[in-house]
Amino acid sequence: MKQHPLCSDCERDNSIADLPIPAGIKNEWAALETRRRFLGRSGKVLGWAALASLFGEAAPRGDASGGDAKVPNRPTAREDLKLPHFAPKAKRAIYLFMSGGPPQIDLLDYKPNLAALYNKDIPDSVRGSQQLTGMTAGQAHFPVAPSHWAFKRYGQSGTYVSDLLPYTARMVDDLTIIKSTNTDAINHEPAIMLMNTGNMNAGKPCLGSWLSYGLGSMNDNLPTFIVLQTKVNSKENNQPVSSRLWGSGFLSSEYAGVGLRSGGDPVLYLADPAGVDREVRRRMLDAVEQINRQTLQDIGDPETNARIAQYEMAYRMQASVPELADLSKEPQSTWDLYGPESKEPGTFAYNCLLARRMAERGVRFTQIYKRGWDVHDNVTGVLPIICGETDRGCYALVTDLKRRGLLDDTLVIWAGEFGRTVYSQGGLTPENYGRDHHPRCFTTWMTGGGVRPGITYGETDDYSYNVVQDPVHVRDFNATILHCLGIDHNKFTYKFQGLDQKLTGPTPASIVPGLLA
Amino acid sequence: MRDARGAWIAALLIIASLLLLPAIARLDGRPHADWQQFLGRFHPLAVHIPIGLIVLVPLLEIMGAWRPALREAAGFVLVLACAACLGTLALGYLLAYGSGDTGVTVSRHTWGGIALAITLLLCLLTRRLWSRGTELRLYPAFLVCAMLILLWTAHQGGSLTHGSNYLTEFMPAPVKRIAAFNSVSAAGPNPDSFYAKRVRPLLDTHCITCHGASKTQGGLRLDSYDGLLRGGKSGPAIVPGDPEKSLLLTRVTLPATDRHYMPAEGRPPLKPEETGWLRAWIKQSASSTATSVAGVSISDIPAEPPPQPVGDYSALMGDIRQMQQGQGAKLVAVSSKPSDGLILNTFDVAANFNDAQLAQMQRFAPYIVEADLARTDITDASLDTLSKFTHLRALHLEGTAITGNALAKLAPLSQLTYLNLSETKVTTAALVPLKAMSNLRHVYLFGTPAQPVSTADAAQTTSAGAQ
Repeated sequence: MKQHPLCSDCERDNSIADLPIPAGIKNEWAALETRRRFLGRSGKVLGWAALASLFGEAAPRGDASGGDAKVPNRPTAREDLKLPHFAPKAKRAIYLFMSGGPPQIDLLDYKPNLAALYNKDIPDSVRGSQQLTGMTAGQAHFPVAPSHWAFKRYGQSGTYVSDLLPYTARMVDDLTIIKSTNTDAINHEPAIMLMNTGNMNAGKPCLGSWLSYGLGSMNDNLPTFIVLQTKVNSKENNQPVSSRLWGSGFLSSEYAGVGLRSGGDPVLYLADPAGVDREVRRRMLDAVEQINRQTLQDIGDPETNARIAQYEMAYRMQASVPELADLSKEPQSTWDLYGPESKEPGTFAYNCLLARRMAERGVRFTQIYKRGWDVHDNVTGVLPIICGETDRGCYALVTDLKRRGLLDDTLVIWAGEFGRTVYSQGGLTPENYGRDHHPRCFTTWMTGGGVRPGITYGETDDYSYNVVQDPVHVRDFNATILHCLGIDHNKFTYKFQGLDQKLTGPTPASIVPGLLA
Repeated sequence: MRDARGAWIAALLIIASLLLLPAIARLDGRPHADWQQFLGRFHPLAVHIPIGLIVLVPLLEIMGAWRPALREAAGFVLVLACAACLGTLALGYLLAYGSGDTGVTVSRHTWGGIALAITLLLCLLTRRLWSRGTELRLYPAFLVCAMLILLWTAHQGGSLTHGSNYLTEFMPAPVKRIAAFNSVSAAGPNPDSFYAKRVRPLLDTHCITCHGASKTQGGLRLDSYDGLLRGGKSGPAIVPGDPEKSLLLTRVTLPATDRHYMPAEGRPPLKPEETGWLRAWIKQSASSTATSVAGVSISDIPAEPPPQPVGDYSALMGDIRQMQQGQGAKLVAVSSKPSDGLILNTFDVAANFNDAQLAQMQRFAPYIVEADLARTDITDASLDTLSKFTHLRALHLEGTAITGNALAKLAPLSQLTYLNLSETKVTTAALVPLKAMSNLRHVYLFGTPAQPVSTADAAQTTSAGAQ
């Protein structure tokens, strides 16, 4: 066993055999130990091979002198992966994730015929064999609940938009609205995992991690993939959002999304404590890195590599994040556009503004989570609140990117994990209703680099229950996103557990040409 | 002289029946027996035989002045030409009658063919007199007539198969102006309408060769809005508001193997987006004046010029890495294809990147297609350097100290389609030289004196500026 440079005592390794523990555990350990040793040794070779491929021709940073914010020697393009496969239309993406399942019928999927069907049961022929959630499966009736809100036509494209979204209505000519998005899962966790990682089970990398891994960073001072959470509003039904949604799965943790906090300091403990100056911090990190490299050499765990990269990233973020979050130089036109809420950290509008600033600074993938769309009851009470929180931010972000010339190569995506039912969950009154989860169709939109503006794609039946034209499955949705970023979803794979893993999974997926510019 | 009189009578009978043919078998625009069409479709093939023979006759007659044997042959060739012409005329008539073709060009072509056959018969009759020396003027006159009629009829036939603008399509513009050809059909009452911008061009491209003024198959004319509503033998082409009942849409969305599928005969099918436009337009009452149709954008996004491939930079990869380690700016491959070029990224070194550092990039300039210099320290001096980046398609200069006084220096960047000058001190006057850059489509001037932000309603600010 080699000795760490900072380690002063050099006792021999403790032997497990000497410890007062049951013999069974000792035997198990001994078996594991052999295997671990073996893997450790081969790992040394594999680890360095992996490192060498990561670092390209350049040798790993040997000197510990540590110039301030020194750029590491990593090649910025994924030369080894041969990515992007073709010249992309979009260099970066911003994903506005509407967690909980926005009700398409109340927002963008206009169904004028429903008014006449108020409180009538949805026909069995429409419902078909669709499994329902435990929340409504026991209902004796499935009464049609028409949208409480009126729809009007907007823009040159004449797209119908609900009165709930006055700001979205202003930009319909820029949007690619997909009415026919559909998913396999009917509950939040599997559906949100499927949407983000292409698989209902945890453990697969999410879209952002794939992009981070495949396309690499454009700005070494900021994470390649940043996640922004919106402050929770207690009036809404907030489904939990966990970090595995932006996890890197079997890819190195380096590619996981970095979450910025919604209140207070965006990153905790980022500022150096009093008395620790930048030089001291640098020296400390260099020493830690040396130890980590030693560990990497001994054990060969690629996760050590991730740790090295993350320490380095954290150091650089000490300078870059305060600059990113400093909105004092934003002109008045920004506040006019994003509205007063955007001055308050953690609001959706604030996050949208940050997302624009990240786009300017070369962050590859930004994902904003907004919870609260899970409107099982009191739709008329809650929906105006959520729409009020998000509508202007979405519009401001798209408009801001557009006027600054950034929308040409930025893809903006607005989506939840599924839609909501046309029938009311619980009691239906003229004033109020609830909507349950609905996987068969939901409305999403994209805009920006690579997609065709001003169109509505796909069509649902009169009940917004089934897709009747041009279905877009989550897999196809994700394949199309990858395509906009120059990636062929079938070629972009990572070998794991004997399978060429990919974002769209083993089931065939296809890009949707009708969405592309 | 008896057989001469017999020949005259026979010829006159044939001429009379030819003249009566269109009256007997009227071209009524209705398709008839399939065997007629089957035989008729040999017309475009057979037609070349009489043409060759007819052209040969005057040649032989002229050459016969020196070699009498050729003049003898001319008589024989003329008989053959006459017979071939009558046969081809029959086939042609079968084609028109069988398939129900009507239209100006079809009837011109028919009458041309009839006139040609008659003229050739007259040639045959007058040639005897000419060779005997009794009447010397008639035969040459008829022969010249035959040649002119041949030329005109052949042109009408060509217009039918290849479309009336086949000859003029690639005519040089000055010639076209002199000839005053107008191949574009009338746009209708509102040139900005969805009909004029989307439906009209689509019909022009795919339909009017067979359903226009020159050829009107099935009695359907799609070269005017009225024609669409009037329809043809099978009924109106469109039923406003009802895409399902609109034959036009039905026919173009049938499976390609269907007998009624359009465009027929292996012509290029409509693109899905085009059928989509038709459906959306018909659904929304198929107005000839409405400018917007739900779900379809008619904003004209001009096509970008195709990217010019750059040379292979792989030999420079070592230098590129060295440069990246030295000054930190990144040269990133656009894609795995080296000919797509490199992007210059300065995101993480923006504050330290200045004119001197950009100058160091000059040796990579032929490979750089996009330069992101936003918020760097570069000044107007860098425009000299940038003028050598001749493959640049996109240039980000937002938030820099560029004043705009030297924007004319960007003129050599013929590939440039995107220029971002947001948040610089660029004024409207400084933008004038950019107008000469023909490929420049997207100029962003947000927050500049050229495009002051109105604080009253920032939302209304448009993004594209100079163009």
